[in-house]
Amino acid sequence: MNLSLNFEIDFNPFNLIIEHELSLQGITGIFGHSGSGKSTLLRAIAGLQKDIKGSIIFDDTRLTASNDNTFIKVEQRHIGLVFQDTRLFPHLNVLDNLKFAVKRCQSRRLDFNEIINLTEIESLLHKHVDELSGGQKQRVSLARAILTEPKLLLLDEPLSALDRQAKTSLLRLILKVQHELQLPMLYVSHSLDELQQVCDNLLVLSKGNVIAYGGIHQMIHQLNHSQNKALTDNCIHQQTSLSLPIKTLNNGQGLAVLSLNSSLSSSLNTGEDIYLPALCEESVQIDEKINMQTLRCFILASDISISLTEPLNSSIVNHLLAEISSVSVKDNNVLVTAKCQEQEFFVNISIFSQQKLALKVGQSVYLQFKAGAVRTYLY
Amino acid sequence: MSNPDLLALFTTLKMAALTTVILLLIGTPLAWYLAKMQSRFKVIIEAIVALPLVLPPTVLGFYLLIAFSPQYLPGQLWQQATGQQLAFSFSAIVIGSVLYSMPFVVQPLQKAFEQLGEPLLEAGAMLGAGPIDRFFNIVLPITKASFITAASLGFAHTVGEFGVILMIGGNIPGETRVLSIALFDHVEAFDYAKAHILAISLLAGSMVLLASIYLLNRPKIRVVKEVNNES
Repeated sequence: MNLSLNFEIDFNPFNLIIEHELSLQGITGIFGHSGSGKSTLLRAIAGLQKDIKGSIIFDDTRLTASNDNTFIKVEQRHIGLVFQDTRLFPHLNVLDNLKFAVKRCQSRRLDFNEIINLTEIESLLHKHVDELSGGQKQRVSLARAILTEPKLLLLDEPLSALDRQAKTSLLRLILKVQHELQLPMLYVSHSLDELQQVCDNLLVLSKGNVIAYGGIHQMIHQLNHSQNKALTDNCIHQQTSLSLPIKTLNNGQGLAVLSLNSSLSSSLNTGEDIYLPALCEESVQIDEKINMQTLRCFILASDISISLTEPLNSSIVNHLLAEISSVSVKDNNVLVTAKCQEQEFFVNISIFSQQKLALKVGQSVYLQFKAGAVRTYLY
Repeated sequence: MSNPDLLALFTTLKMAALTTVILLLIGTPLAWYLAKMQSRFKVIIEAIVALPLVLPPTVLGFYLLIAFSPQYLPGQLWQQATGQQLAFSFSAIVIGSVLYSMPFVVQPLQKAFEQLGEPLLEAGAMLGAGPIDRFFNIVLPITKASFITAASLGFAHTVGEFGVILMIGGNIPGETRVLSIALFDHVEAFDYAKAHILAISLLAGSMVLLASIYLLNRPKIRVVKEVNNES
């Protein structure tokens, strides 16, 4: 399923100009600073933004084409949208909000009760919408959008108003829904951490233009080197983005163990391990490619330090032997990139430390970070 | 109440009910258009709609009387279409009432539509609802209180109308003689007893209507159970 975007929108203070073809598999993240045009892009795809010059083609259907005035109405596009502010109808209770979608859905292939169970809102059905918490409202909003049986689901910063616990819960739910229904999603957020947890691909916008598009880990690592001031000043925390097989959920000493070698399950007992706080069973997902439980996690570049000798007598549990592949200096900070078993790690240190250790490309060093520095929303 | 007064009451209620229905049918799309319109001409249309609020009723009545007369186009067209004169007819006082009470219906509806905004309508469209569907299933239920207010104010204002009706309708029993004109007749004839009955009836009716509006529009108190942060 493809989405071909080739259009321009007058957008203060700059124009949104998109010429890109997206392969819609799994969840595609759309990332950018505030005002970069992320939400406008979603609104254009949904049909809510009408002043478009150019075309939007979804799965061989021309949704918008300004050259011959083609414009498929919003209600006929078979695209769902979960709004940042949920937009549940205040005059209806939860059940009636859901029925609003069901009554207008022509195909009705999905089972209503299954979607209720999937989105875990059974207990909310007879509540009025103003009795719900922010997280509950977003669950209902997600269920309502799914019940229209869209071919593509758009999510416009669905977690931005939620607390950490609600974010975790909803991220798990989004993954579960995507996995069960195989529904392609476009997920807009200005939080790279959030996108890292659920997206397969990432489209990066800045000042109305696409500046990068590719696999999620590759894009996050590419952004670590970004010179784009609008992005780096506002929303990028340099980090190492990982998706690794789980060796042990709990090693009996309060730690879970990930294998750094993500490609070969047979060699799990060789190579480096990464330790993090123990995980619970429900938080992990199966990676079908290697038929193993995997975990999405990230380590902030500021949470990793460098040692020239192996720190064996330290409470810090993670120390990986790596080879420096680049050293770059920006604004009194040094970004060191080091490779350990083909996996790139990013480390922020001061110029003082860099000079003290005399770091250079090709040098072998130990990267060290605490178990708690390995972050994930999903546990 | 004497028979002529009962006839005046019947004429008044018929005129006010018909006026209210016409005002809702005309006023709703006009208010919607004004709420969504971004043109600079909006202020001009708003000013025209609001004009009866500040214009002396006799001024409006005077111009309508001229327009309704057979010497001018509106009156001529009416006469050609119906075979009857428009001025000093029941139809004339209904048309006059519609124009005179227009702001009392359009303004509350316009405000309600502006407050409703686009977000919920966009949500409705994303769920597959077309424009008519969205109006009847989202706009109407959410702005119900404003429709009740608009209809009530339009009705009450029409019932109390005097100047415009006197100018374009005169005082024809069973046709254009409404309660306010009947009351004026009683006062002119120094029949204060009958005048009192009509005045108190109008006063009580207006009070009951306004109290009903406030009762219907008061904020509903919902007992909200303690909400968990997340289920």
